[in-house]
Amino acid sequence: MTSSGKGPEMKHGEELTLETLDQDGAIRETLDAMPSDSRRDFLRKSAGIGLLGVLAVPSAAEAATPKGDVAILNYALTLEYLQAAFYTETQRVGAVRGRLARVPTQVGAVERAHVSAIRKVLGSKSVKRPSFNFQGVTEDANKFLKTAVAFEDLAVAAYKSQAARIKSPAVLAAAIAIHSVEARHAAWMRYLVGINPAANAFDEGKPINEVQRIVKSTRFIVSSPRKTAKGKPRFTG
Amino acid sequence: MSQHLSLAVFDTDAAAASLDGEDASESRGDFLQKAVVAGGIVISGGILIGGLPTFAASAPSPEQDAEILNFALTLEYIEAAFYTETARKARVSPELLEFAKIVGAHERAHVAFLKKALGNKAVKKPKLDFGDTTTVSKKFAATAAKLEDTGVAAYNGQAANLTKPALAAAAKIVSVEARHAAWIRAIMGRNPAPAATDTPLSKAEATAALNKTSFIKAAS
Repeated sequence: MTSSGKGPEMKHGEELTLETLDQDGAIRETLDAMPSDSRRDFLRKSAGIGLLGVLAVPSAAEAATPKGDVAILNYALTLEYLQAAFYTETQRVGAVRGRLARVPTQVGAVERAHVSAIRKVLGSKSVKRPSFNFQGVTEDANKFLKTAVAFEDLAVAAYKSQAARIKSPAVLAAAIAIHSVEARHAAWMRYLVGINPAANAFDEGKPINEVQRIVKSTRFIVSSPRKTAKGKPRFTG
Repeated sequence: MSQHLSLAVFDTDAAAASLDGEDASESRGDFLQKAVVAGGIVISGGILIGGLPTFAASAPSPEQDAEILNFALTLEYIEAAFYTETARKARVSPELLEFAKIVGAHERAHVAFLKKALGNKAVKKPKLDFGDTTTVSKKFAATAAKLEDTGVAAYNGQAANLTKPALAAAAKIVSVEARHAAWIRAIMGRNPAPAATDTPLSKAEATAALNKTSFIKAAS
């Protein structure tokens, strides 16, 4: 996490705020209250609107995201790109059917909302979306679920190890609120696979290099994410 | 939908549960909803929480850490006692009993961790009375979901108020609470992860949520 924060200072200091998160509670209620069909439609069309709508409000100049936080957010963004693409492709392929069909739809909508929210904060400093090849795991329900477990457990560990390094309280509040949702996803996927959703009393974090090694080993990322700002993210491997 | 999340988590969930249709309304009418909310003021049938420490959030400091971790400890005392009693009475369904045993062990580990971290500053365990929520499957499940969702929201709400070392420790706990929350929701047939972000609760909101349970009878 050294190089991706070397770009120019952010011009507009949009930040994730606590108000943002409160706003999002409205989405939670809406989704919980909806029958699954309309919920699916709602998710596809509008998940994350609460998050994004509030983010669109420009904040004061002094709220510009600190450099280290930019690097961390770009690291998180790449993981979110990966997850969003994975669920979105699974949904599009349509091989996950029956009672499981709503899983890639719902989780995908959430991961796309995370992508949108982080990109909004980073603005022109956002790393670009890489290209992916999921090696067929989006075309088989079993492989999909096992991959989902691995992704979600990894995301929890990745966010966790960064939490204490984040400087901006607003970015921290947002990251921690995403972190626990990734943990919910992890437990959910584990439940569906039939393994213990909460295997330990304490979840340990994973450092960046370990997360990157694991992601690289999947060979899911087939092109390097590019940045608009100078400096190459190390995530591409 | 037009409902606002301005009140305690419990209202939200009970309302969502009944609208879900998957979670019979039976589990809400007679249960935590006994605590009536009128105009945002909690009117509880039980004794309000007196054992919870109070604090005003300011810049992170070891002193503030102790206050926050004591608040967390009280939450963990409640969760640990709830699951431990459920496992001991062993009257809930097999799947829920397994959940109570596994999660109970986690919560006891959280209690031990926080007590050790706080040393002689640790608050004492309050006196608790869970009524029949530890023996009736439906009530147990609904209560577990509410406790875990509240735990996640309460921890998340304090993240920025903790010093970095305390935050690193709390982060290892909060994701486990989130896993518990998703797990019990999955068992209940409810959406395990219904929002893109977990809305944080302030200490006052989390305290109000706990007060509504009427579980805490007195600080011992």
